[in-house]
Amino acid sequence: MALPGEEMVRETIEFMKLALDQAKLALDCLEVPVGCVIVEGGEVIALGKNRTTETRNATRHAEMEAIDVLLEQWQKSGLSQKEVAEKFSKCTLYVTCEPCIMCAAALSIIGIKEVYYGCGNDKFGGCGSILSLHAGDQSSKGFNCKGGIMASEAVSLLRTFYEQGNPNAPKPHRPPVQQT
Amino acid sequence: MENFRHVKRIRKKSLEGGKWELSVILCLAGENDSELDRIPNEVIEVIQQYQLSTFVGKVCKYAASTKEEWEEQCKFWPTSFHPPTYNIAGITGFTEEDTLSVLRFMKYAVDLAASSTDVVVNAAVIVDPSTKEVISTACDQVLPCTIPKCNSSRQANCFKPPEPTKFGDLPCMKKHQKKISIHSTSDSTWLCDFVSCLHPWRWAEQRPDIGSGSWHPLQHAAMVAIQSSAARDRLLFPGDGHSGNEFIQEDHTLPHKTVSPSKRQKTHLSSVKDERENSSEMNCCHTDTVRPYLCTGYDIYLVWEPCTMCAMALVHQRVKRIFYALPNPNAGALGSVQRLQGEKSLNHHYAVFRVFLPRDILIRGDPSVADTSENQQTITSGI
Repeated sequence: MALPGEEMVRETIEFMKLALDQAKLALDCLEVPVGCVIVEGGEVIALGKNRTTETRNATRHAEMEAIDVLLEQWQKSGLSQKEVAEKFSKCTLYVTCEPCIMCAAALSIIGIKEVYYGCGNDKFGGCGSILSLHAGDQSSKGFNCKGGIMASEAVSLLRTFYEQGNPNAPKPHRPPVQQT
Repeated sequence: MENFRHVKRIRKKSLEGGKWELSVILCLAGENDSELDRIPNEVIEVIQQYQLSTFVGKVCKYAASTKEEWEEQCKFWPTSFHPPTYNIAGITGFTEEDTLSVLRFMKYAVDLAASSTDVVVNAAVIVDPSTKEVISTACDQVLPCTIPKCNSSRQANCFKPPEPTKFGDLPCMKKHQKKISIHSTSDSTWLCDFVSCLHPWRWAEQRPDIGSGSWHPLQHAAMVAIQSSAARDRLLFPGDGHSGNEFIQEDHTLPHKTVSPSKRQKTHLSSVKDERENSSEMNCCHTDTVRPYLCTGYDIYLVWEPCTMCAMALVHQRVKRIFYALPNPNAGALGSVQRLQGEKSLNHHYAVFRVFLPRDILIRGDPSVADTSENQQTITSGI
């Protein structure tokens, strides 16, 4: 019988695989491939993928998409603000790339319980790379956060995106990376 | 090599047959080109050890100040070129006309903040400074009672871009003066419990006094304004967003990969500006102009300093300048708690200004004061 710890790791990997599936869907749509799932009580309750190009709104990151799915759903079923906040406080986010500063702030505002991410985001990361918004302070809520879950898969998707010679890239633009 | 920081240390030259030749700068030669005897001993050792063939080459003494100059320099020996990051209007001061324009747009935001709902909320106005056109306006939509009545659904707001408004005939500049005084307390401050960026975590509190209807904990004014400007973009420049010379954002880049957004942006910015100037001269509609890349070149006016989420959203959307009137000691990300404009790793940097409005404008919401000479002293300051 698997130890509880091992069971948890297996579950984390399974959910991250689903987030990676979302990232692949984003890649198919010529979007920067980042995807996520939100899990409550062991069940996936929302999916999200990056839609910044399609919407021409650079804030439509996977996390924001998934949060909006839940907010709409919960409001339709008549939950109050307080009840929605209670729901979020039981949710875990699995996202392929470290949430950026904006998303980390948003996750703190909605009061998510915990976040697992794939690769780090050394230019925009809000969960340790640039800012540590997950840590919280006197006035802001923090959340548990762990990175490095299937990071190489997440990076390889991003690499595919940038190496395929981004058809939407502004000109002049750097040429696709040469394979060595 | 202290005075030659702009000079690259290594030159890579392509030879016939796909081969490369690498040249490395070993040391400085004398002024008369041929003093190979000045080579330090340790360098001579390296030359002998690796059997290097040495030569004296010319490099440019000063760093290039323009791209053209840089291209010329590289014909001698490669140099690096760093276009000035902060070539943003306003850094070196505002003209009288610009100051007036900034004050008018800020008062427009202040008026929106106080007038569009029952309570005072934050308001955002996105402006194209090259045409003085309002691109989008928004108020906080976090609480049900703060959803503007004239625009009750977020959906509708999303797909209905505001009418382009020219500077000078801003709507509702003089209306709603009463409402602000209702909410101002005896010590002459605003009742700002409902300003989302001041209290981002308060959305979940039970408030029996507020109405029913749609609400959203993340619909802060700046986020809604970005959403509206994106909707306007899609409406004015239809197309699938995946073709030709169009643009894509790169908010999740690979670790350790750095593009140079400043150069790219600069190129694009000038082309947008040119197109827009032409179009306004000819008074034609937007369909002939170049599609904007997000909010590149645009300014945003906010009554309160934005929180971290909003400030980062404005980085993502490539806003050029942010003007705010009131600091946000609880959660402000442009100087109060964080200072995002100073984070070097970010791929875009906006300039931030605080606009010092006369206190009585905030209380009475009387924009007419802006026309008096006294107000010209309310200088905007870079933060």
